[in-house]
Amino acid sequence: MSYIDTIADNKDLVTPGMSACHGCGGELILRRLLKVAGPNTVICIPPGCMAGAGVVGWSFDNGLKVPVHITLLDNTAAFLSGVTNIYQRQGRTDVNMVAMAGDGATADCGFQSLSGAAERGEKMLYVCYDNEGYMNTGFQRSSTTNRGSRTSTTPVGSVIPGKPQHSKNLPYIMAMHNAEYVATASPAYMKDMIEKIEKGLAASKNGFAYLHIFSPCPTGWLHGPEVSIDVSRKAVQSDYFQLFEVDKGVWRQTVANKKPITLKEFVGPLKKYGHCSDADIAALQENIDARKSFLQKMIG
Amino acid sequence: MSKREFITPIGEEGIYILDTASWRAARPVMNKDKCIECGICLTMCPVNAILREGPKKYFISYDYCKGCGICAYECPKKAIDMVKEGGE
Repeated sequence: MSYIDTIADNKDLVTPGMSACHGCGGELILRRLLKVAGPNTVICIPPGCMAGAGVVGWSFDNGLKVPVHITLLDNTAAFLSGVTNIYQRQGRTDVNMVAMAGDGATADCGFQSLSGAAERGEKMLYVCYDNEGYMNTGFQRSSTTNRGSRTSTTPVGSVIPGKPQHSKNLPYIMAMHNAEYVATASPAYMKDMIEKIEKGLAASKNGFAYLHIFSPCPTGWLHGPEVSIDVSRKAVQSDYFQLFEVDKGVWRQTVANKKPITLKEFVGPLKKYGHCSDADIAALQENIDARKSFLQKMIG
Repeated sequence: MSKREFITPIGEEGIYILDTASWRAARPVMNKDKCIECGICLTMCPVNAILREGPKKYFISYDYCKGCGICAYECPKKAIDMVKEGGE
Protein backbone atom coordinates (compact mmCIF):
# COMPACT_ATOMS: atom_id res chain seq x y z
CA MET A 1 0.00 0.00 0.00
CA SER A 2 1.58 3.23 -1.11
CA TYR A 3 1.40 6.37 0.96
CA ILE A 4 -1.11 7.87 -1.48
CA ASP A 5 -3.46 4.93 -0.83
CA THR A 6 -3.08 5.48 2.92
CA ILE A 7 -4.11 9.10 2.53
CA ALA A 8 -6.85 8.45 -0.04
CA ASP A 9 -8.53 5.45 1.56
CA ASN A 10 -8.36 6.06 5.30
CA LYS A 11 -11.22 7.88 6.95
CA ASP A 12 -10.83 11.59 7.65
CA LEU A 13 -11.18 11.94 11.43
CA VAL A 14 -10.99 15.73 11.50
CA THR A 15 -13.94 18.06 11.02
CA PRO A 16 -14.21 19.03 7.33
CA GLY A 17 -14.35 22.74 8.07
CA MET A 18 -11.90 24.03 10.66
CA SER A 19 -10.76 27.61 11.03
CA ALA A 20 -7.06 27.14 10.23
CA CYS A 21 -5.71 29.74 7.79
CA HIS A 22 -5.32 29.16 4.05
CA GLY A 23 -2.36 26.91 3.35
CA CYS A 24 -1.82 26.02 7.02
CA GLY A 25 0.92 23.45 7.62
CA GLY A 26 -0.50 22.51 11.02
CA GLU A 27 -3.86 21.54 9.56
CA LEU A 28 -2.17 19.41 6.91
CA ILE A 29 -0.05 17.65 9.55
CA LEU A 30 -3.02 17.01 11.88
CA ARG A 31 -5.08 15.50 9.07
CA ARG A 32 -2.24 13.30 7.84
CA LEU A 33 -1.38 12.23 11.39
CA LEU A 34 -4.94 11.08 12.09
CA LYS A 35 -5.27 9.42 8.69
CA VAL A 36 -2.36 7.19 9.64
CA ALA A 37 -3.23 6.76 13.33
CA GLY A 38 -6.84 5.80 12.62
CA PRO A 39 -9.88 5.85 14.90
CA ASN A 40 -8.25 3.82 17.70
CA THR A 41 -6.46 6.88 19.03
CA VAL A 42 -6.49 9.23 21.99
CA ILE A 43 -5.00 12.64 21.23
CA CYS A 44 -3.89 15.50 23.46
CA ILE A 45 -3.71 18.99 21.99
CA PRO A 46 -2.51 21.90 24.14
CA PRO A 47 -3.55 25.49 23.45
CA GLY A 48 -2.14 26.66 20.14
CA CYS A 49 -3.24 26.99 16.57
CA MET A 50 -4.71 23.50 16.27
CA ALA A 51 -6.69 23.81 19.50
CA GLY A 52 -7.82 27.30 18.57
CA ALA A 53 -8.91 26.27 15.08
CA GLY A 54 -11.89 24.41 16.48
CA VAL A 55 -10.35 20.97 16.84
CA VAL A 56 -11.02 20.71 20.56
CA GLY A 57 -14.40 22.30 20.01
CA TRP A 58 -16.66 24.49 22.07
CA SER A 59 -19.47 23.65 24.50
CA PHE A 60 -19.52 19.89 23.84
CA ASP A 61 -19.10 20.22 20.11
CA ASN A 62 -15.84 18.77 18.92
CA GLY A 63 -13.70 18.96 15.85
CA LEU A 64 -12.37 15.41 15.93
CA LYS A 65 -13.98 12.00 15.73
CA VAL A 66 -11.58 10.58 18.32
CA PRO A 67 -11.31 11.48 22.02
CA VAL A 68 -9.34 14.71 22.36
CA HIS A 69 -8.03 16.29 25.55
CA ILE A 70 -7.15 19.95 25.67
CA THR A 71 -4.31 20.06 28.15
CA LEU A 72 -2.57 23.09 29.59
CA LEU A 73 0.22 24.71 27.61
CA ASP A 74 2.89 23.21 29.86
CA ASN A 75 1.69 19.74 30.81
CA THR A 76 0.82 17.95 27.58
CA ALA A 77 3.37 15.14 27.98
CA ALA A 78 2.69 14.79 31.72
CA PHE A 79 -1.06 14.61 31.11
CA LEU A 80 -0.67 12.03 28.37
CA SER A 81 1.69 10.02 30.60
CA GLY A 82 -1.20 9.56 33.01
CA VAL A 83 -3.63 8.65 30.23
CA THR A 84 -1.25 6.17 28.64
CA ASN A 85 -0.44 4.56 32.00
CA ILE A 86 -4.08 3.80 32.78
CA TYR A 87 -4.56 2.39 29.27
CA GLN A 88 -1.49 0.16 29.70
CA ARG A 89 -2.74 -1.02 33.09
CA GLN A 90 -6.13 -1.92 31.63
CA GLY A 91 -4.40 -3.91 28.91
CA ARG A 92 -5.52 -1.62 26.10
CA THR A 93 -2.06 -1.43 24.57
CA ASP A 94 -3.40 -1.23 21.02
CA VAL A 95 -4.67 2.33 21.48
CA ASN A 96 -2.45 4.95 19.86
CA MET A 97 -1.45 7.65 22.36
CA VAL A 98 -0.67 10.81 20.47
CA ALA A 99 0.11 14.37 21.48
CA MET A 100 0.21 17.15 18.94
CA ALA A 101 1.67 20.42 20.14
CA GLY A 102 3.10 23.55 18.61
CA ASP A 103 6.68 24.60 19.12
CA GLY A 104 5.79 26.92 22.01
CA ALA A 105 4.04 24.14 23.92
CA THR A 106 6.95 21.81 23.15
CA ALA A 107 10.20 23.76 23.30
CA ASP A 108 9.30 26.52 25.76
CA CYS A 109 6.42 26.02 28.18
CA GLY A 110 5.98 22.27 27.86
CA PHE A 111 9.63 21.34 27.80
CA GLN A 112 10.08 20.07 31.33
CA SER A 113 7.08 17.73 31.13
CA LEU A 114 8.20 16.57 27.66
CA SER A 115 11.74 15.92 28.85
CA GLY A 116 10.43 14.03 31.87
CA ALA A 117 8.11 11.84 29.82
CA ALA A 118 10.90 11.08 27.34
CA GLU A 119 13.28 10.14 30.12
CA ARG A 120 10.70 7.84 31.74
CA GLY A 121 10.04 6.26 28.36
CA GLU A 122 6.27 6.76 28.50
CA LYS A 123 4.52 4.93 25.69
CA MET A 124 3.35 7.74 23.43
CA LEU A 125 4.01 9.56 20.18
CA TYR A 126 4.65 13.26 20.69
CA VAL A 127 4.34 15.32 17.52
CA CYS A 128 5.57 18.90 17.42
CA TYR A 129 4.51 21.05 14.47
CA ASP A 130 7.17 23.71 14.33
CA ASN A 131 6.01 27.02 12.90
CA GLU A 132 8.75 28.91 14.70
CA GLY A 133 6.66 31.10 16.95
CA TYR A 134 3.43 31.56 18.91
CA MET A 135 1.29 31.91 15.80
CA ASN A 136 -2.09 31.56 17.48
CA THR A 137 -1.58 34.76 19.48
CA GLY A 138 0.07 36.82 16.76
CA PHE A 139 3.60 35.52 16.16
CA GLN A 140 5.52 36.18 19.35
CA ARG A 141 9.06 34.80 19.41
CA SER A 142 9.61 31.26 20.66
CA SER A 143 12.83 29.40 21.30
CA THR A 144 12.62 27.71 17.88
CA THR A 145 12.35 31.05 16.03
CA ASN A 146 15.50 31.43 13.99
CA ARG A 147 17.91 34.32 14.19
CA GLY A 148 16.97 37.43 12.23
CA SER A 149 13.25 36.60 12.10
CA ARG A 150 10.84 39.47 12.55
CA THR A 151 8.25 38.67 15.24
CA SER A 152 5.85 40.85 17.19
CA THR A 153 8.08 40.71 20.28
CA THR A 154 11.34 41.13 18.34
CA PRO A 155 10.37 43.86 15.87
CA VAL A 156 12.86 45.21 13.39
CA GLY A 157 14.17 48.65 14.33
CA SER A 158 17.23 50.61 15.30
CA VAL A 159 17.86 48.52 18.44
CA ILE A 160 17.53 44.92 17.22
CA PRO A 161 17.33 43.47 13.69
CA GLY A 162 14.70 40.85 14.44
CA LYS A 163 15.43 38.04 16.87
CA PRO A 164 19.07 38.36 18.01
CA GLN A 165 19.55 34.76 19.22
CA HIS A 166 19.86 31.49 17.36
CA SER A 167 17.10 28.92 17.73
CA LYS A 168 17.08 25.92 20.03
CA ASN A 169 17.50 22.72 18.06
CA LEU A 170 14.87 20.59 19.70
CA PRO A 171 15.13 17.36 17.63
CA TYR A 172 18.78 17.01 18.68
CA ILE A 173 17.89 17.62 22.31
CA MET A 174 15.15 14.99 22.14
CA ALA A 175 17.48 12.53 20.41
CA MET A 176 19.75 12.75 23.48
CA HIS A 177 16.93 11.46 25.72
CA ASN A 178 17.49 7.84 24.67
CA ALA A 179 14.01 7.85 23.21
CA GLU A 180 12.73 4.92 21.19
CA TYR A 181 12.32 6.94 18.02
CA VAL A 182 13.07 10.56 17.15
CA ALA A 183 12.65 12.04 13.67
CA THR A 184 12.14 15.26 11.77
CA ALA A 185 9.74 15.52 8.83
CA SER A 186 8.58 18.05 6.28
CA PRO A 187 5.17 18.07 4.53
CA ALA A 188 6.90 18.55 1.16
CA TYR A 189 8.36 15.05 1.51
CA MET A 190 5.03 13.42 2.19
CA LYS A 191 6.11 9.81 1.64
CA ASP A 192 8.92 10.25 4.14
CA MET A 193 6.54 11.96 6.59
CA ILE A 194 3.90 9.22 6.42
CA GLU A 195 6.57 6.55 6.92
CA LYS A 196 7.90 8.40 9.95
CA ILE A 197 4.44 8.72 11.47
CA GLU A 198 3.96 4.95 10.97
CA LYS A 199 7.34 4.21 12.54
CA GLY A 200 6.64 6.61 15.38
CA LEU A 201 3.30 4.97 16.15
CA ALA A 202 4.94 1.53 16.13
CA ALA A 203 7.73 2.76 18.41
CA SER A 204 5.20 4.36 20.78
CA LYS A 205 4.06 0.86 21.77
CA ASN A 206 7.51 0.23 23.28
CA GLY A 207 8.55 3.64 24.52
CA PHE A 208 8.68 7.32 23.82
CA ALA A 209 8.58 8.50 20.20
CA TYR A 210 9.06 12.09 19.09
CA LEU A 211 8.39 13.69 15.71
CA HIS A 212 9.39 17.23 14.83
CA ILE A 213 7.54 18.43 11.73
CA PHE A 214 8.23 21.63 9.82
CA SER A 215 4.99 23.58 9.56
CA PRO A 216 4.84 26.56 7.19
CA CYS A 217 2.68 29.46 8.40
CA PRO A 218 1.58 31.83 5.61
CA THR A 219 -0.09 34.25 8.02
CA GLY A 220 2.92 34.66 10.29
CA TRP A 221 5.80 34.22 7.88
CA LEU A 222 4.05 36.38 5.28
CA HIS A 223 4.21 34.27 2.16
CA GLY A 224 1.43 33.27 -0.20
CA PRO A 225 -0.64 30.27 0.90
CA GLU A 226 0.02 28.45 -2.38
CA VAL A 227 3.80 28.30 -1.75
CA SER A 228 3.48 26.65 1.69
CA ILE A 229 4.68 23.28 0.45
CA ASP A 230 7.33 24.89 -1.73
CA VAL A 231 8.68 26.74 1.32
CA SER A 232 8.92 23.52 3.30
CA ARG A 233 10.68 21.86 0.37
CA LYS A 234 13.19 24.69 0.06
CA ALA A 235 13.80 24.55 3.81
CA VAL A 236 15.04 21.00 3.37
CA GLN A 237 16.96 21.74 0.16
CA SER A 238 18.82 24.62 1.79
CA ASP A 239 19.61 22.51 4.91
CA TYR A 240 17.65 25.01 7.01
CA PHE A 241 15.62 22.01 8.20
CA GLN A 242 17.32 18.63 7.94
CA LEU A 243 15.44 15.38 7.66
CA PHE A 244 16.82 12.59 9.79
CA GLU A 245 15.70 9.87 12.17
CA VAL A 246 17.18 8.30 15.26
CA ASP A 247 15.87 4.76 15.58
CA LYS A 248 16.95 3.22 18.91
CA GLY A 249 20.09 5.37 18.94
CA VAL A 250 21.03 4.81 15.28
CA TRP A 251 21.20 8.08 13.34
CA ARG A 252 20.24 8.16 9.69
CA GLN A 253 19.61 10.94 7.19
CA THR A 254 16.38 10.01 5.43
CA VAL A 255 16.39 12.53 2.57
CA ALA A 256 19.84 13.07 1.11
CA ASN A 257 20.30 16.61 -0.07
CA LYS A 258 22.48 16.11 -3.10
CA LYS A 259 21.99 19.50 -4.75
CA PRO A 260 21.69 22.05 -1.94
CA ILE A 261 20.27 25.46 -2.80
CA THR A 262 21.45 28.68 -1.18
CA LEU A 263 19.78 29.98 1.95
CA LYS A 264 18.79 33.13 0.02
CA GLU A 265 16.52 31.08 -2.22
CA PHE A 266 14.71 29.82 0.85
CA VAL A 267 14.37 33.13 2.72
CA GLY A 268 13.45 35.04 -0.46
CA PRO A 269 9.67 34.53 -0.37
CA LEU A 270 9.46 34.89 3.43
CA LYS A 271 8.78 38.48 4.44
CA LYS A 272 9.71 37.71 8.05
CA TYR A 273 13.32 37.69 6.78
CA GLY A 274 12.64 40.54 4.31
CA HIS A 275 14.81 43.06 6.18
CA CYS A 276 17.83 40.73 6.49
CA SER A 277 21.14 41.94 5.15
CA ASP A 278 23.76 39.60 3.68
CA ALA A 279 25.55 39.62 7.06
CA ASP A 280 22.36 38.45 8.83
CA ILE A 281 21.93 35.62 6.36
CA ALA A 282 25.60 34.68 6.72
CA ALA A 283 25.13 34.47 10.49
CA LEU A 284 22.13 32.19 10.00
CA GLN A 285 24.10 30.13 7.50
CA GLU A 286 26.89 29.67 10.06
CA ASN A 287 24.43 28.15 12.52
CA ILE A 288 22.99 25.90 9.83
CA ASP A 289 26.47 24.70 8.86
CA ALA A 290 27.22 23.88 12.50
CA ARG A 291 24.02 21.81 12.70
CA LYS A 292 24.85 20.07 9.47
CA SER A 293 28.34 19.06 10.61
CA PHE A 294 26.87 17.87 13.93
CA LEU A 295 24.45 15.63 12.05
CA GLN A 296 27.25 14.28 9.85
CA LYS A 297 29.26 13.42 12.97
CA MET A 298 26.32 11.60 14.55
CA ILE A 299 25.65 9.60 11.38
CA GLY A 300 29.32 8.77 11.35
CA MET B 1 -26.47 20.20 30.41
CA SER B 2 -27.40 16.61 29.66
CA LYS B 3 -25.64 13.59 31.10
CA ARG B 4 -22.71 12.53 29.01
CA GLU B 5 -21.33 9.10 28.30
CA PHE B 6 -17.68 10.14 27.96
CA ILE B 7 -15.49 12.40 30.07
CA THR B 8 -13.94 14.00 27.02
CA PRO B 9 -16.16 14.98 24.13
CA ILE B 10 -16.22 12.71 21.12
CA GLY B 11 -17.42 14.57 18.11
CA GLU B 12 -19.51 11.96 16.35
CA GLU B 13 -22.72 13.75 17.25
CA GLY B 14 -22.08 17.41 17.89
CA ILE B 15 -19.33 17.97 15.40
CA TYR B 16 -17.95 21.47 15.03
CA ILE B 17 -18.03 22.46 11.37
CA LEU B 18 -17.32 25.80 9.76
CA ASP B 19 -18.38 26.74 6.24
CA THR B 20 -14.84 27.26 5.01
CA ALA B 21 -15.97 27.18 1.37
CA SER B 22 -17.23 30.73 1.86
CA TRP B 23 -13.61 31.91 2.36
CA ARG B 24 -12.67 30.95 -1.15
CA ALA B 25 -11.55 33.76 -3.45
CA ALA B 26 -10.49 31.45 -6.27
CA ARG B 27 -11.49 27.88 -6.99
CA PRO B 28 -9.18 25.17 -8.28
CA VAL B 29 -10.41 23.55 -11.49
CA MET B 30 -8.91 20.29 -12.72
CA ASN B 31 -8.07 19.97 -16.38
CA LYS B 32 -8.52 16.26 -16.99
CA ASP B 33 -6.78 16.45 -20.39
CA LYS B 34 -3.49 17.26 -18.68
CA CYS B 35 -4.05 15.27 -15.47
CA ILE B 36 -2.00 12.08 -15.17
CA GLU B 37 -3.84 10.93 -11.99
CA CYS B 38 -0.66 10.87 -9.90
CA GLY B 39 -2.35 11.96 -6.67
CA ILE B 40 0.19 14.58 -5.58
CA CYS B 41 -2.61 17.15 -5.12
CA LEU B 42 -4.47 14.77 -2.81
CA THR B 43 -1.45 14.27 -0.56
CA MET B 44 -0.72 17.99 -0.26
CA CYS B 45 -4.25 19.36 0.26
CA PRO B 46 -4.50 20.68 3.85
CA VAL B 47 -8.31 20.48 3.87
CA ASN B 48 -8.65 16.99 2.34
CA ALA B 49 -10.82 18.58 -0.34
CA ILE B 50 -9.34 16.36 -3.05
CA LEU B 51 -10.85 12.90 -3.06
CA ARG B 52 -10.35 9.69 -4.96
CA GLU B 53 -12.98 7.45 -6.42
CA GLY B 54 -12.00 3.97 -7.51
CA PRO B 55 -8.35 3.11 -7.98
CA LYS B 56 -7.31 6.20 -9.99
CA LYS B 57 -9.85 8.95 -10.31
CA TYR B 58 -9.11 12.17 -8.50
CA PHE B 59 -11.58 15.01 -8.19
CA ILE B 60 -11.99 18.21 -6.17
CA SER B 61 -14.83 18.62 -3.72
CA TYR B 62 -15.79 22.28 -3.26
CA ASP B 63 -17.74 21.73 -0.03
CA TYR B 64 -14.94 22.92 2.25
CA CYS B 65 -12.11 23.93 -0.12
CA LYS B 66 -10.56 27.17 1.16
CA GLY B 67 -8.94 27.98 -2.18
CA CYS B 68 -5.38 28.15 -0.89
CA GLY B 69 -3.95 27.14 -4.27
CA ILE B 70 -1.44 24.55 -3.03
CA CYS B 71 -2.82 21.91 -5.43
CA ALA B 72 -2.45 24.21 -8.45
CA TYR B 73 1.08 25.20 -7.44
CA GLU B 74 2.26 21.67 -6.69
CA CYS B 75 0.70 19.89 -9.67
CA PRO B 76 3.60 18.46 -11.70
CA LYS B 77 1.65 18.83 -14.97
CA LYS B 78 0.04 22.21 -14.13
CA ALA B 79 -3.33 20.56 -14.68
CA ILE B 80 -5.13 22.63 -12.02
CA ASP B 81 -6.08 26.26 -12.67
CA MET B 82 -7.25 28.76 -10.07
CA VAL B 83 -10.42 30.42 -11.36
CA LYS B 84 -11.70 33.57 -9.67
CA GLU B 85 -14.93 33.03 -7.73
CA GLY B 86 -17.95 35.06 -8.82
CA GLY B 87 -16.28 36.01 -12.08
CA GLU B 88 -17.53 35.32 -15.56
